[in-house]
Amino acid sequence: MSDLQNSAPAARPEIRVEGAVKSFSGRVVVDVDELVLGDQPIEGLIGPNGAGKTTLMRMIMHSTPLDRGRISMHPDGPGGEEIVLSDLPTFAMAGRGLVKSNQVIMDFDRLTIWDSLLFAVAGARCERPYRVFAEHDLFDAHEDEIRGYLAYFGFTDPMGFAQSAGEKKLLDIVRCLLLKPRFLMLDEPTAGLPDELTEKVMDKIRELAAAGTAVVIVEHDLNVIWSLCDQVHFMAEGSVILRGTSEEIRAHKTVVEKYLGEGHV
Amino acid sequence: MNLNWLDAFLITGLFSVFMVIGLALLLHLQMGLARIANFGVVGFWGLGMYVYGVLYVQVDWPFDDPWRFLLSALAGVVAAGISGLLVGWLIADLDEDGVLLGTFGFATIVWILATTETALTKGALGLGGLQFPYRLGNAKQNEALWLLILIVVVALIMLYVWRVHRSPYGRLLVAVGGNEPLAQSLGKPAFRTKLGVFTVGAAGMGLLGVMYGVLERFLETSNLGVDLTLAAVVGLVVGGTARLWGPVVGVALTVGLFDIVIQSYIPLPKSWYGQAIPVLREMVFGAVLIGILLFRPLGILGDMRRDKLMRSMHGE
Ligand SMILES: Nc1ncnc2c1ncn2[C@@H]1O[C@H](COP(=O)(O)OP(=O)(O)OP(=O)(O)O)[C@@H](O)[C@H]1O
Ligand SMILES: [Mg+2]
Repeated sequence: MSDLQNSAPAARPEIRVEGAVKSFSGRVVVDVDELVLGDQPIEGLIGPNGAGKTTLMRMIMHSTPLDRGRISMHPDGPGGEEIVLSDLPTFAMAGRGLVKSNQVIMDFDRLTIWDSLLFAVAGARCERPYRVFAEHDLFDAHEDEIRGYLAYFGFTDPMGFAQSAGEKKLLDIVRCLLLKPRFLMLDEPTAGLPDELTEKVMDKIRELAAAGTAVVIVEHDLNVIWSLCDQVHFMAEGSVILRGTSEEIRAHKTVVEKYLGEGHV
Repeated sequence: MNLNWLDAFLITGLFSVFMVIGLALLLHLQMGLARIANFGVVGFWGLGMYVYGVLYVQVDWPFDDPWRFLLSALAGVVAAGISGLLVGWLIADLDEDGVLLGTFGFATIVWILATTETALTKGALGLGGLQFPYRLGNAKQNEALWLLILIVVVALIMLYVWRVHRSPYGRLLVAVGGNEPLAQSLGKPAFRTKLGVFTVGAAGMGLLGVMYGVLERFLETSNLGVDLTLAAVVGLVVGGTARLWGPVVGVALTVGLFDIVIQSYIPLPKSWYGQAIPVLREMVFGAVLIGILLFRPLGILGDMRRDKLMRSMHGE
């Protein structure tokens, strides 16, 4: 850890999707021929409802198995070591720096906010069945970091349970941040959040990207996309059909027709 | 020591109450925290007991107790643990029905093996020749000491479970039980975690089986029926599957009340002992289980309270 922080940040990781296909009950939902994610610090992935954005991200995490194709990650940028993600189980992703937040709210119903965050930071070594006295070391090691996030986002009762959908959404994001991702995928991270919290989430994302993490965001709130992203991928009917800067994508005829509709600004 | 107050019946009764508390505590780790049902408790328990008994009796040991006992007992515990690993591996990714059938099926296999492998187990005739690993004055003193040792073992199991609730490991079990996909996406190996808790639990159940075999000194295949699993499950569910004290409260109120209070102190007709009481017991337990599931599905003590626990551990 400290080595990484002291030396110059390594090149941003990159994810490559090649010929990845997924269908549900005979209907092709994702069919991505060739896609590189991580070229730019923050990239957007947009497209109409049902375009396959969530499914594509789940395929990258291997929580949805591929019908065919290959997905790989170069943690130290193109040319470096290659990890074939589509051969790994989902639980192995976080350890390799790949983390994804969830579009639909996901939570542990019986864990408190603190529980949930301590769970995210706990390494496998302190979670062995015989390590029944490891709690205080874990808490001491991560207390400041967790308190920092709790104060930043202002949870109502962090020793208790997440109260609202918004808190659960934020909790999901904070868990991801605590994993110190090198490649972070966010599936509609600001959906349902008030403006002020949306801003805070966006600031964190910028901070993270500046420190060398590659970020990919799916969002329907296009203001978030236009203000954050250095590059945007446009997806429709299972395929990524366009790639460009925010300005290019915004003005593109196909995007206007298929997604933005006439008369957008 | 004067042990007049303690008759053989009471020793057996207390022994089975504490033993079922131990089983229910282990089941609490599996069912209450990790939410994997286990209807094969008696299988792991019985495997431990029979592996110990068969080795102790049938092997021509070059040395005597306590080594002969310790090695046989260790083999029983290890065998139960390995069977837990295998059964866990088969069922960990099945749905609830699959888990129920798989674990129940395993217990049935243990029963069939114990009944049919007569060369080793003496089958339905029963396997004699077991002994306490120590010799005190008389049988009652031996049994009383063994009861005491069991109580210590169960107390240690409870201490372990208490620590698990307060450790990152316990949190992992609760998380995997509560939302497996989310736990996986946070880098936690859910399958391995479930295997682990199944293995540890099964080994503990095997140990309790060994200890029961020592107390009885005679192994009968009739012990391998569904009664013991039912007792542990009913006790746990009545008390509350998610709570540390659930197994204690629940088993005391079911097995304790029925096997000790009702059978010892209530004048039931003599002719009932033998056939009628075990049947009556299972009917009562079954009815209690249904009643609790209908009216108080989380048991008497209710669901776990991680908020209270976290506050007590980390302040605020
Ligand atoms: N598990 C599943 N079983 C069947 N169909 C599915 C499944 N998951 C997704 N789909 C279908 O695949 C298509 C793409 O869904 P996906 O969630 O990937 O779209 P999306 O681009 O994320 O949409 P949104 O913007 O609404 O979140 C949809 O038509 C959806 O109904
Ligand atoms: Mg989606």
